[in-house]
Amino acid sequence: MCSRIEIITLFFVLLSTLGLAQDCQIKLEGLVTDKGTRAPLSFVNVILQELGKGAITDDDGAFVVENICPGHYHLIVSHIGCEPVEVHLDIDRDTILNISLSHTSVSLEGVIVQGKSNDFSNQPNQSIGKQAIEDNSDEHLSGLLKNETGVHLLKNGGGIAKPVVHGMFGNRLTILNNGVPQSGQQWGNDHSPEIDPSAANKITIIKGTSALEYAGGNLGSIVLVESQQIGRDPHLHGRVNYSYETNGRGNNINVQLQKYSSALAWRINGSLKKYGDRKSPSYLLNNTGTEEANLSLQLEKSWKEKTFLELYSSTFNTNLGIMSGSHIGNLTDLEAALSRDVPFNTESEFSNIIEAPKQTVGHHLIKLNAKHYFDDHQSFQFTIAGQLNDRKEFDRRRGGRTNIPALSLQQYAFNSDLKYLKTFKKDLNLKVGIQNTFTDNTNNPETGILPLIPDYNSIETGFFTTLTKSWIKTAVFFGIRYDYERQQVVALSRTVPIQILRYDNKFHNVSGTAGITYDLTKNHSLAFNAGYAMRNPAVNELYSSGLHQGVSGIEEGDVDLKTEKAGKATLEYTAQWGSRFSFGALAYYQRFADYIFLNPQDEVRLTIRGAFPVFKFEQANAAIYGIDMSSKFSIGKALAGQLKYSFIQGDNLSQSIPLVNIPPGSLFGSLTYRLNKPVPIGKINIEDFEFEVNNKFVFKQNHLLPEQDFVLPPGAYTLLGAKASTNVILRKYKLRIFVKVDNLLNTTYRDYLNRQRYFADDLGISATLGINFKF
Amino acid sequence: MHTLKLLFALTFSAFLVLSSCKKKEPFIPNPQEIITTVTYTLVPDGGGTSVELIFVDLDGEEGGNAPTITGGTLSANQTYTGSLVLLNESVTPTEDVTEEIQEEDEDHQFFFQSTINDLSVAYTDQDSENNPIGLATTLTTGAEGSGTLTLILKHEPEKLEDGVAGGDPTNAGGETELQIVFPIDVQ
Repeated sequence: MCSRIEIITLFFVLLSTLGLAQDCQIKLEGLVTDKGTRAPLSFVNVILQELGKGAITDDDGAFVVENICPGHYHLIVSHIGCEPVEVHLDIDRDTILNISLSHTSVSLEGVIVQGKSNDFSNQPNQSIGKQAIEDNSDEHLSGLLKNETGVHLLKNGGGIAKPVVHGMFGNRLTILNNGVPQSGQQWGNDHSPEIDPSAANKITIIKGTSALEYAGGNLGSIVLVESQQIGRDPHLHGRVNYSYETNGRGNNINVQLQKYSSALAWRINGSLKKYGDRKSPSYLLNNTGTEEANLSLQLEKSWKEKTFLELYSSTFNTNLGIMSGSHIGNLTDLEAALSRDVPFNTESEFSNIIEAPKQTVGHHLIKLNAKHYFDDHQSFQFTIAGQLNDRKEFDRRRGGRTNIPALSLQQYAFNSDLKYLKTFKKDLNLKVGIQNTFTDNTNNPETGILPLIPDYNSIETGFFTTLTKSWIKTAVFFGIRYDYERQQVVALSRTVPIQILRYDNKFHNVSGTAGITYDLTKNHSLAFNAGYAMRNPAVNELYSSGLHQGVSGIEEGDVDLKTEKAGKATLEYTAQWGSRFSFGALAYYQRFADYIFLNPQDEVRLTIRGAFPVFKFEQANAAIYGIDMSSKFSIGKALAGQLKYSFIQGDNLSQSIPLVNIPPGSLFGSLTYRLNKPVPIGKINIEDFEFEVNNKFVFKQNHLLPEQDFVLPPGAYTLLGAKASTNVILRKYKLRIFVKVDNLLNTTYRDYLNRQRYFADDLGISATLGINFKF
Repeated sequence: MHTLKLLFALTFSAFLVLSSCKKKEPFIPNPQEIITTVTYTLVPDGGGTSVELIFVDLDGEEGGNAPTITGGTLSANQTYTGSLVLLNESVTPTEDVTEEIQEEDEDHQFFFQSTINDLSVAYTDQDSENNPIGLATTLTTGAEGSGTLTLILKHEPEKLEDGVAGGDPTNAGGETELQIVFPIDVQ
């Protein structure tokens, strides 16, 4: 699945015509080129949707469509194995349209330096586009990322997952939702990012060192969830997407409407999801249902192509069941659970009722963004945003308290962000910015339980400057950032009587990064990035205290933790041989001083409930390194394939032991067959039919000592999958149908990064059928 | 450029205003659900001195102070009538947890395990579905010996699984709410 294709620029060259074109004699012609190499691209489909006709580019990248009547058209541009792009055109005379597509076939997208559209110059990135998001409407945000190289999922059963990029997650991974850093309880390994991917047009993973533009300063990667600008199409457009998944008997529905006018452009997106108990190959996973209801609204207005204003607001609401059999008390319960073939509390009756233990989370965002271009070389951007994250976790409790949450946290976050961009002569770009985040985190007293993490306010202020300069073959990037963070914490002591402890922490963090890209030849390029960053300890790392029911352990923070420092270097090589084969490899090495991690203690704490393992936040020197490789190839006009491989390893250098929660290596391969030409059946046109078979192999995590976990990591596994999709076009209406089957062989497996592996097998076979209607 | 300066000033002043915000006092939750005190009273059949096995941990499971556990000395070849009382003494007034368990008796079961030969505990109470609870028991000793008696309380056990009604927690599942090891001498 290639979603890397994208129209970067559309040049309209309106030829002065030889008199006005007669009715229905207009000609549309043009060239399609690769933006990176400027080479012509052949076999690109260019179709005028209303007419159901178009052309395929020849060896010189040229196309011609003749006999067009004047009018409004939607032009669809697609390339083998890639996602189509749609643009609106007003045609009233002969038109030449030059289309340039971004680097087409390398999964780790090549390096693009210039252009307003790319804020992350020099950084290796991958993205998932609109089509892939629509064709996977059964997936949550993390699920969409799961087959990307270098990305893994840290899960808690079927419905809860967070992305892990190059071994970084939680406090170390920044997720930006429409340009706003997602604010919530990221510290929890069992907390999913609260974002509805159906509202997004594009999800990008930046794996380099340029987190500089955003607070968090950790050299970790960034996941960008973007809802792109509303297309300049004056008609009402929309889509209705429905899918049904057999495993969990899940229903997903998504509706999106949008309309552009120069007065105001708007887009509205709503989605509902409902799943019941999921199933492993041999038994039901009771109470693993999920529910979701989301709505977002995007308004855009522009003045004279110079000033752009965007208002974005969204509400995300979910209910997530946690498998009954994974609800345990002490260490003895865990040992009993580990020895079971079929988890405790397994019932054979399917249910879509979600009971405790469960999580109920709401995340609400409102954002206002203003952009102004003074001229072609200067612009600024101002964003303010408010977020509310409301998380409640329910346990099975004694004395009728099951309906009272065992954890109840409310977090308000206010962000403001001001950026100024200037392009000097000779492709020198400067960007400076200032950011502010105020966070107010409060435990609701309703729980009747001493909170695991304390109440706090925090203020973060950051300044950054980045510079990029490009020549014909070389581009360089340089950036520096300073952050100030103040945490005002009110914690409760674990003494009798309970006392209020106040802490006031101030941290200064400095980060810097530099990079260079060099085109060895037209089709081979190298990119090198190096960076240094500081990350101050987070509130949970400093002050966690108590029983973390989600992980059946007692977690203790350390008030004396120091700031974590990290240096990271990445080297990327991308190559393309003709339009048939491309290859990309990205190697990275990240070295930490005072890496903060949860270390299991020798001590087992004896309580009235029996023994509990104790984990303390500690610091050590550490290294995380690995390589991501991917290649794409095409055989003939109809077959395309890809292969991806990721390897990662983490070491605690101070103690000479492996780091825990580092994903094992994985290998992914797929082969896609595509019908290039539309197949007409009566008035209906079958277009873009694709059939894909894919296989994922995950190695066993051998880089771990037996005493570092309650049980040895699970073995290697292979998952086979298949999917098919097609467009059915009837006049101007477009219906898309997709079918996919995951875990086709119903393989029994457990995944090292899924906490549910202690208790139950992972998901069995599942088929999804989806219908997407566009108008 | 005036707008730019204005916005810059605005952002910066927002920072100054917000940085002077102090977090207000948290509300201290009343920990209602913990069990601080467990007393297993054993009254010998046919009269004699009662034995009390006591566990006390007033600052709860997360507190820094270790619990105190008082074991006991039992007579050999003797039958005792056992009764359990569970309290939460960290709140005022003291909360009777035994009552809560009686109200949700189907969701709770006690288990008794001993390392001493011939020491056995039998259930003498039943929930509404005729399964054992364990608040009321009979304890029987045999030959002399010393070792431990482990008291376990499970929340939401599967009482119908193999051996669970007979007092074996292996297949019970559920969440352990109590697990206390009392030192015992049988003389």
